[in-house]
Amino acid sequence: MSDTVVDDSPEIPMLRCRGVEMAFGGVPVLKGIDLQLRPGSVTALAGENGAGKSTLMKIASGQYRPTAGDVEVRGQSLPSGSIRAAADLGVAIVPQELASIPELTVYENLFVGRELRTPLRTLDRRAMIAETRTNLAGFGLDVDPRTVMGSLPVGVRQIIEIIKATSRGARVLLLDEPTSAIAEREVARLAEVVRSLRDQGVAVLFTTHKMEEIRAMADRVVVLRDGGLVADADLTTITDDEIVTAMIGRELEDLFPELPAPGDEVVLQVTDVVVSPGAAPISFSVRRGEILGLAGLVGAGRTELLECIYGIRRPLAGTVTVAGSLLRPGDPRSAIGRNVAIVPEDRKGAGAVLSMSVLDNATLPRIAAFSRYGLLAERRRTDAIGTAMSSMNLKSDGLGQHMENLSGGNQQKVVLGRWLTGTVDALLLDEPTRGVDVGARTEIYRIIAELAGQGMAVVMASSDMPEILSLSHRALVLRDHTVAGSLTRAELASADVQDVIFRLASGQEAHTRLILEENAS
Amino acid sequence: MTTSSADVATTHAARDWAGTAGNFLVRHIMIVVMVAIIAFFAYRSARFATPDNLMTILVAAAPFALIALGQTLVILTGGIDLSVGSVIAASAMAAAWSAKNLGDNPLYPLGAAVLAGLVAGALNGLVVSRLNVPPFIATLGMLTLASGVAYVIGNGAPINGLPSSYGVFANTSVGGITVPVILMIVAIVAFAFIMRRTAYGLRVYALGGNRFAAEIAGVRSKGILFSVYVISGLLAGLSGLMLSSRVITGAPNLGQGYELDAIAAVVIGGASLMGGRGTVWGTAIGLLLIQTINNGLDLLLVPAYWQNVIKGVIIVAAVAVDVWAAKRRK
Repeated sequence: MSDTVVDDSPEIPMLRCRGVEMAFGGVPVLKGIDLQLRPGSVTALAGENGAGKSTLMKIASGQYRPTAGDVEVRGQSLPSGSIRAAADLGVAIVPQELASIPELTVYENLFVGRELRTPLRTLDRRAMIAETRTNLAGFGLDVDPRTVMGSLPVGVRQIIEIIKATSRGARVLLLDEPTSAIAEREVARLAEVVRSLRDQGVAVLFTTHKMEEIRAMADRVVVLRDGGLVADADLTTITDDEIVTAMIGRELEDLFPELPAPGDEVVLQVTDVVVSPGAAPISFSVRRGEILGLAGLVGAGRTELLECIYGIRRPLAGTVTVAGSLLRPGDPRSAIGRNVAIVPEDRKGAGAVLSMSVLDNATLPRIAAFSRYGLLAERRRTDAIGTAMSSMNLKSDGLGQHMENLSGGNQQKVVLGRWLTGTVDALLLDEPTRGVDVGARTEIYRIIAELAGQGMAVVMASSDMPEILSLSHRALVLRDHTVAGSLTRAELASADVQDVIFRLASGQEAHTRLILEENAS
Repeated sequence: MTTSSADVATTHAARDWAGTAGNFLVRHIMIVVMVAIIAFFAYRSARFATPDNLMTILVAAAPFALIALGQTLVILTGGIDLSVGSVIAASAMAAAWSAKNLGDNPLYPLGAAVLAGLVAGALNGLVVSRLNVPPFIATLGMLTLASGVAYVIGNGAPINGLPSSYGVFANTSVGGITVPVILMIVAIVAFAFIMRRTAYGLRVYALGGNRFAAEIAGVRSKGILFSVYVISGLLAGLSGLMLSSRVITGAPNLGQGYELDAIAAVVIGGASLMGGRGTVWGTAIGLLLIQTINNGLDLLLVPAYWQNVIKGVIIVAAVAVDVWAAKRRK
């Protein structure tokens, strides 16, 4: 077998793409990709949204037939058009949108489609549970196989999906954006699972656009840009800057803009707001032009706090005033009326109505301003929204384009830009760059800084550490739905700030204080 | 050289034109289906393509049009209103009862039918928007309840011997067109305008497309939800009045099963039962498609039970073609 494979590496590659080209409706998406995965390797497939990562994954897993070129798995040609045929050759893909069945238990999920049977052809649940337990333990996962899948955190479900793929004999594992939906803590666990698979000789390829994940999980990085392969390097030989430059195709001088100096007038005043039962009250104020960062682990209550301010959620106690007027608790309309704007974390679930056009989405929050006697003022809304969207640098086929056909970054621009057709005093941002590619991210940073410069009071919840450090004037660290600590601009610039934030967020601040005091003395 | 480039230009233009025409046909596939069905009936029956028969189709379509419009709004919010058939019966019985017992004034049956429709719709709306009962269940309950009320009003029997003024709603003509047909046309145009050009229409689409996102943008979702069921109930009430006015009788089994034709019309018109997608014009096309099939099969003397079989096949086939075309569009 080995002599039929022309290959300069000592081993047969687990997966080999040769001159893979792909075009949709005449538009080239992949332009001749050559890629080899060796056994026992972890490769990051990096690139911005639209670079062709997902398409390449789909070709490698047999879902698409390439326009030109071919794919081989351990020297055998991969038949296209069938995930099943690819699986038989040992290629498995864990898609971005998890394919687990939330109503079934963990072991049922693991065995669905290849159930173990008793001699009477009924389900042998006991055997499936036992085998599942062994499998989970092998990956250090302490989960009862009889747990209902839907009750587990997304990160654990993800790992179970990976176990499902490998327990069916996968030797090539393709992970599409494996970290897009999981918490930072869970990324570490995922990295561990990936490493243990590598040690078992599995070839792993995962897509990402986050630098930290490339470093945490991979030993090699392949960068796609506009359908071409622009970098392929061992991670020990390439710098972060080089990877980012390869991804976006230009020098990234400065990811973050200069922050304008904040004003003096307090715009947003949060007083004794209790987010959930038993949590300590939260109080803070934000001045005109000031950006307040909200840091914290997943579940710390950042989203809940923003929802309480805006009125999506009713706080148990406390008040919120904006420019001196009190907001009615639990009523978003009151917040909108007082010029409060929000950009929710879950863009598809809470930010936009995907089935509607850009124009209609942007009309919604200010619908009263765009209608008279209930009739929509077409000219007025087209003009105002057109201006707002061009100030956001929105790339679309026009205001009539449906939201679902826009990229994540452009959807986010609509969800933010739709507020800019009127005055905004307080702007609430929840993970403003989640699922947004590097190029669009810098643009969104620039816009946020500009909006602050125009006099908005900005509250920005983020689990992206650089965002908190470089895009906030001050930061609050939340834990257990209350404030665990706060950091000034100077503190945010100090060398050990990441460590301080992590300790505050995870509840070890006593220890930190001790160290700080020791350092001081 | 010039000739060849001109040739190229013409070919391009021709191809563009063919492409545009093809796009139009794929986009409006239901119109293609409709034309095919009309052509078939016109070929098979000499009476089909006559002005008289067109009017027959429109007269038959009118009561369905009203409930299909209400159904469109409800389906756009992601709900469904199964009760409209029974609400037709209850309003017809309420109207007939009032005409018989309150005096010979057409305002009584009009008021009674409107009131009955509004009450049924408001109850549906309250149960769905305030108690969060799934619309399928809430309106299934109302289907049974309203049907019961219809029989209670007449003690299980139809109400006959109504004053001739009762027929004024269905049997008056203006310029050769009967009131129900005028009402249908006005209602279709009005709702097309409301859904496309008013803040209310935009809010209904937003609520159906993504309720949470709509609420964050300041839409009062409960109020909107309530309103679409009230509108659906009101239109069912008017529909019941027109149906019973045509025969000057109140019958408790009037409108039975009409909700299914109304839902079919909306779905054929391209609406998604998940909400957020669909248009009033689509519903109008779907409605005319169903009524044309009914009428054509009658003219061809197809037995009633076979008509149902054929209609069922055509409804599913029409939607299957639409789904296929939707995929082609992408």
